Amino acid sequence: MIEQLKSDFSKMTENLKFSESNTQLRKKNLTNFIDKGFPNKRIEDWKFSDLNQIISSNIENLRFYNDEIDVLKDQTSLINKFEHNKIFFTNGVISKIDIKHEDDAKVLITNDLNLNKNTNETNPLVSLNYALASAHTSIVVKENYSLNKPLILYNITTKELNSTALNLRINIKLEKNSTLKLVTIFDDQSQNNFINITQNFDIAQDAILKSYKIDHKPNSNIKYFYNNINLEKNSISENFIFSTGSKFIKNEVNCNLNDQYGSAFINGVINLKNSQHHEIKTNINHLAENTKSYQLIKTVLNDQSKGIYQGKIYVDQKAQKTNGYQLSKALLLNENTEFDGKPELEIYADDVKCSHGSTSGNLDEDSIFYLMSRGLSHQQSKELLINGFLMDAVEKITDLEIKNLIKDMMGAVE
Amino acid sequence: MLTIKDLKANIDNKEILKGLNLKINPGEVHAIMGPNGSGKSTLSNVLSGKKGYTVTGDVKYFNENLLDLEIEERAHKGIFLAFQYPLEIPGVNTNIFLKTSLNAIKKAKGEKELDAIEFLKLVKQKAGELKFDEKILSRQLNVGFSGGEKKKNEILQMSILNPRLSILDETDSGLDIDALKIVSEGVNALRSKDSSFLIITHYQRLLDYIKPDFVHVLINGQIVKSGGSELAIELESKGYETLS
Repeated sequence: MIEQLKSDFSKMTENLKFSESNTQLRKKNLTNFIDKGFPNKRIEDWKFSDLNQIISSNIENLRFYNDEIDVLKDQTSLINKFEHNKIFFTNGVISKIDIKHEDDAKVLITNDLNLNKNTNETNPLVSLNYALASAHTSIVVKENYSLNKPLILYNITTKELNSTALNLRINIKLEKNSTLKLVTIFDDQSQNNFINITQNFDIAQDAILKSYKIDHKPNSNIKYFYNNINLEKNSISENFIFSTGSKFIKNEVNCNLNDQYGSAFINGVINLKNSQHHEIKTNINHLAENTKSYQLIKTVLNDQSKGIYQGKIYVDQKAQKTNGYQLSKALLLNENTEFDGKPELEIYADDVKCSHGSTSGNLDEDSIFYLMSRGLSHQQSKELLINGFLMDAVEKITDLEIKNLIKDMMGAVE
Repeated sequence: MLTIKDLKANIDNKEILKGLNLKINPGEVHAIMGPNGSGKSTLSNVLSGKKGYTVTGDVKYFNENLLDLEIEERAHKGIFLAFQYPLEIPGVNTNIFLKTSLNAIKKAKGEKELDAIEFLKLVKQKAGELKFDEKILSRQLNVGFSGGEKKKNEILQMSILNPRLSILDETDSGLDIDALKIVSEGVNALRSKDSSFLIITHYQRLLDYIKPDFVHVLINGQIVKSGGSELAIELESKGYETLS
């Protein structure tokens, strides 16, 4: 694999005519990745998801660069229920930007493959992402501006693209008192890809980010989706993860509440069948007084699927009056399923309110009896209960259009 | 309508019903009274098809063997159980549940299913009759309902589904006097020559409002005495002791 990686890296730097400094910065990250490799279960953070093993058993001859595929210019939107701004990433490359609903002096979108920041990244997958980023997009929302419509990032892979790693980086900056509703959605027509996406958010004072990640179409790809969120004073980050389509996906969210009165919400639904394997891992760092975090994750597992939630709340000794909450509930509908939950609290302040809980179990037989005694079939009763179970988390979405979109995707009865 | 012969039910190798006989004709209201642990709730569970019991004996419902029918088939054929403890179902909207339920029954009967507008009209009318605050119907099923609201919700379901045989399992428990009145009025409004009721209760209080045609005393898994509504009053003053 390392030979392939090195030769693909040289090919990429030559083809794209990277500057010397860019090449050096990328190379440093490449070396960091090569030293560590894909994470395996010996690493604590990956003990429930051995990515190295998952990649080697699912993807033969993984390639890291592909210059043979034409980029499609006209893309059709997956979502037509409401008007929105769009950016299309096709096979890892920006193919279209359309922000016609906005003032283009207020929303700045650039794509620059030149990396100019020296990093000391410890996460090997983020290093890999730096080294091989084929899209490096920056979105800035100017001070006091609220987007009129949501911005949807479409991540599309086409049939021709197989057994290839894709690395995308997106940096999003919300200036003071600005608002952005962001949807990241996947349309995978390819097979056996490793898709590695890093999103960085800097949310300035009084700004509001609503970020919804939707992985809903069944596909055989392996994904790692890393979010790093920095929150300043009195800012809000609302995250929702809808995790149901990919063969494997690990959604990792690292969130720093850097200043007072910041709030972070991470809610999500994992709904799996066959041998799917999905993980949500969160790290919430309360680093200032009067900050708040809330997490609710609902998981439903069928067949022989596996679900994981690792959630950590860290409270710095400065972060008095922290309010941290996390709850994970899982339904295991088959004895061959597996759910691993690892809630963690690490608290160094003494005046805080933190709670966590984790439950897993089967559907309640008495509830099924109640519904069947009203004429519903066993199947209908099960579906209603499962849907209701998941809906609890979906109801946390504060944007009505997007909430309804996700309800539709779940086939919710209305 | 319903003929029960020598009904026995075991759970975890313990015999709860020990040869119960009962006959209910269309239009009749029967009350079953008995002390704790006499098998009252087991009887309602067995009649509505709850799993977990080993059942022998013969139960004829019209011309069918009731014990051979699945839970939802019994509901389709007009059997309704008002639960002693209605379950809270998080995430399921009460209105959506009611519509799914009504249409499942209509479909099984080969009747036309109601669309959203027809359904809402029906619910509005029935909720009005029962003095039931409609707003509660847009909430999650029984979640956060008070004891009285849960029981009223059961009666509302009953009036919408319009069953032929309604089994009320200790519907009066946990009700204050006003709620008891409303629930009783709801039941009385549903009485007709075609529909029958089996009312299971500890106390005679409910029977002040719903006058039964027959009262049976269930003790230790068997009906030990049957009579008219005066039997309930006698029991209230003398207790079950004298009969066991």
